[in-house]
Amino acid sequence: MEKSKKENKGFISWFKDNWEHNSLFSTLFALLVMVLIQCVVMWNNAGSFAGLFPKMRMAWLNILRNNAYAGIIALGMCFVIISGGIDLSVGSMLCCLGAILLYLIEPNFGLLLKIGLTGPLAYALSIIVLVCIGYVFGHLNGSLVAYGKLPPFIATLGTMKIFRSVTQQLTKKFNPTVPAGFKAITSTKINGQVILPIIYWITIVILMHIIFKKTAFGRQTIAIGSNERAAKLSGINVNMTKRNIYSLCGVMCAIAAIIYIARIGSMDFANAGNGYEMDAIMAVVVGGTAMSGGRGSVIGAFLGMLITGVMNNILNSVGVPTFLCEAVKGVIIIFAVLLQKKDNA
Amino acid sequence: MNLFMHKINKSFGANNVLTDVDFKLNSGEICALLGENGAGKSTLMNILGGVLPADSGTIEIDGKEVNFESPVDSLDAGIGFIHQELNLVNDLTIYENMFITHLPKKGLFLDTAEMIQKTEALFQRMDVDMDPRMMVRDLDASYKQIVEICRALLQDASLIIMDEPTTSLTEPEIRRVFAMMRTLKDRGVGIIFISHKLNEVMEICDRYTVLRDGNMVAEGLVSETNTHKLAAHMVGHEVTTEINTRSGQHGKEVLRLENLSDERHFRNISMAVHAGEVLGVTGLLGDGRSELFQTVFGAMNTKHEGKIFLDGAEIHVRNTHQALDHGIAYLPRNRKENAILKDMTILDNGSIVYLPKIVRGLFIDQKRQEALFQKEVDELRIKMSDKFNLITSLSGGNQQKVVLAKWLMSDPKVLILDNPTQGVDVGAKEEIYQIIHRLADTGVAIIVLSSEAQEIVRVCDRSWVMFHGEQVGLVEGDDMNEHNIMYLATGGNAA
Repeated sequence: MEKSKKENKGFISWFKDNWEHNSLFSTLFALLVMVLIQCVVMWNNAGSFAGLFPKMRMAWLNILRNNAYAGIIALGMCFVIISGGIDLSVGSMLCCLGAILLYLIEPNFGLLLKIGLTGPLAYALSIIVLVCIGYVFGHLNGSLVAYGKLPPFIATLGTMKIFRSVTQQLTKKFNPTVPAGFKAITSTKINGQVILPIIYWITIVILMHIIFKKTAFGRQTIAIGSNERAAKLSGINVNMTKRNIYSLCGVMCAIAAIIYIARIGSMDFANAGNGYEMDAIMAVVVGGTAMSGGRGSVIGAFLGMLITGVMNNILNSVGVPTFLCEAVKGVIIIFAVLLQKKDNA
Repeated sequence: MNLFMHKINKSFGANNVLTDVDFKLNSGEICALLGENGAGKSTLMNILGGVLPADSGTIEIDGKEVNFESPVDSLDAGIGFIHQELNLVNDLTIYENMFITHLPKKGLFLDTAEMIQKTEALFQRMDVDMDPRMMVRDLDASYKQIVEICRALLQDASLIIMDEPTTSLTEPEIRRVFAMMRTLKDRGVGIIFISHKLNEVMEICDRYTVLRDGNMVAEGLVSETNTHKLAAHMVGHEVTTEINTRSGQHGKEVLRLENLSDERHFRNISMAVHAGEVLGVTGLLGDGRSELFQTVFGAMNTKHEGKIFLDGAEIHVRNTHQALDHGIAYLPRNRKENAILKDMTILDNGSIVYLPKIVRGLFIDQKRQEALFQKEVDELRIKMSDKFNLITSLSGGNQQKVVLAKWLMSDPKVLILDNPTQGVDVGAKEEIYQIIHRLADTGVAIIVLSSEAQEIVRVCDRSWVMFHGEQVGLVEGDDMNEHNIMYLATGGNAA
């Protein structure tokens, strides 16, 4: 309804109004600009206009596939940040959950094999178990924050260290393989392409968006991030809601771990998931969510992930050294937050 | 030093805050500056402290006219201003705090020995027994006051303004500060003592000046007056307020408190409120009424003793959602900090309390949400252009009505309204009073917490008056007038 009102005043003022007040709009616009730059770069590389489309198609399949894990985690992170918190443990949690999943489904000495379960039934059970464990891990974070009254940064910094180091110690002599049947979860080709991770990601984006927009839990999440005291004085069970928010983030990590294992087929327990917390935070912030909580959106976190993905793709295509790519990411996140500040004033 | 402020005028916009106010203070004298909230006391003192410029009028010190453009000018002239919220750094020692504005150095480093020695010398002169090496955080509130007073003295202050120094102090702490004030007085320092507590004024002050609506209405020697007269001066005789003419039938008892005490805010509170009744609870700053009812609502984290009964059965409310389940609603004071969800729409703000109850399956039943909210909008006459705009786009009065709406949607048995008309203009105020009466007529038990005596008289059927965490009196019928309330609220019959 806002659109029609503003359009009378001309495109420029409509644009300006949205740019200043609608963070999703500015994120989408930023993505559009990136895609245009990407087109120019691709066109240049392909040498002809006709060569642009297959190149773009491949590039986008890669962007979407490679960012699916961190992208799914970013959705959980998005809830955490909107509630005014932060979860640094997501990367380590992914790694730890991945290890647990491997213990469950390993074809030679896996736990499920020992109780005589194999095939699809075993895989389904392992997925359910893993999601539950992810929920419990998130629950732990949430309880530390809500009932232990720890600052989220400290609580999840602690669990981040715990998840990682315990995983590394317990997997010292662990050299697992992933059964082909489990890999089929992501690697089954559709139209000759591996697109299942992308489908999972987008499905979860839609689910999380609906949770955010349509449930009381979603509204209460914003309320807590917007003004925790007012939320409490509105009869909201702030502690329970916070705990659930972190649990949801844990579930997202579990889903990301399942897709990760199924796609990569192994896990480097020292490095898997390293830096995912920062990638997720970056996607959320670039997507227009305020670190102070209260403002933001799930779709924004999705778009934010795509922006960083496209950015990486462009930098690779023009041959920027890998080390410098990180610097460019840094510039982007700083810009994104500078733009948000304008929104506050 | 002798201070004389002559014909001080100050206005903010069209609002005259001070009109031709005269104020004088001689050295070695303690003068009370009295007045209700908004009478202009703080403005007058901020002008003296160089925080605000006066529109017109002169300030003379020892017969010489001075001109303060900033707090530094005022300090240089020997005026120390001790604000209600103390300006000490908790994480530094006493001596570091004493010298915080210009730390003495020896070469590159701080001259600790000199700071400690000077502080000790001053403490000795002032008969203060404290180790300057103590951390300020380990001091109780009265010693912090004393440190601030000493700091002012160190900066050669010969006139000290104390803004409600005793509100957060316990009785022995108050004694300690008073002893300090007497020492200062003997040393020839003049003190301006701003307070709401008239018996303290009677005890410690030599003279008084009363401000009302920006005018100086009375001054004189404390020895020639009494608390009744002072309270009358503060309220004024000519103030005519509408009084509550409601004759509602009260039903059965809904909420009863028995001997409720917590660690520091309130002690031995017992009261009851009936269905259809509007009960007032009033007092001045630091009376503990807000903390009392936040405890009833489960919003305080402090331990408490005593019993709370709802509909005759004892209840234990540990957090706010339990209170909500019991049908207790609390509209907090300080709307901006405690009630407004600034990032959310008017609709979401107005239905956040009831949201979990209007869920169908997993999702919010948006149609029902909007319908329920619309009912409250019509009922409370909330004016807005679009319920999907942010709450912050509304005026104060309408914001307050939205906050009220979120609680009314939950159909409470007991509605606690803490300063319900704070930051609301006169028209909206009257509307809110009428809403309160309409609600009471439907059988809701209502408790109005307010420091404005006029508001209590206007809206309540009867009212408890609190003073320093204790209930000091019940006013009802003809006794419920501003004079009696002010008399009780200033500790008139305590001590």
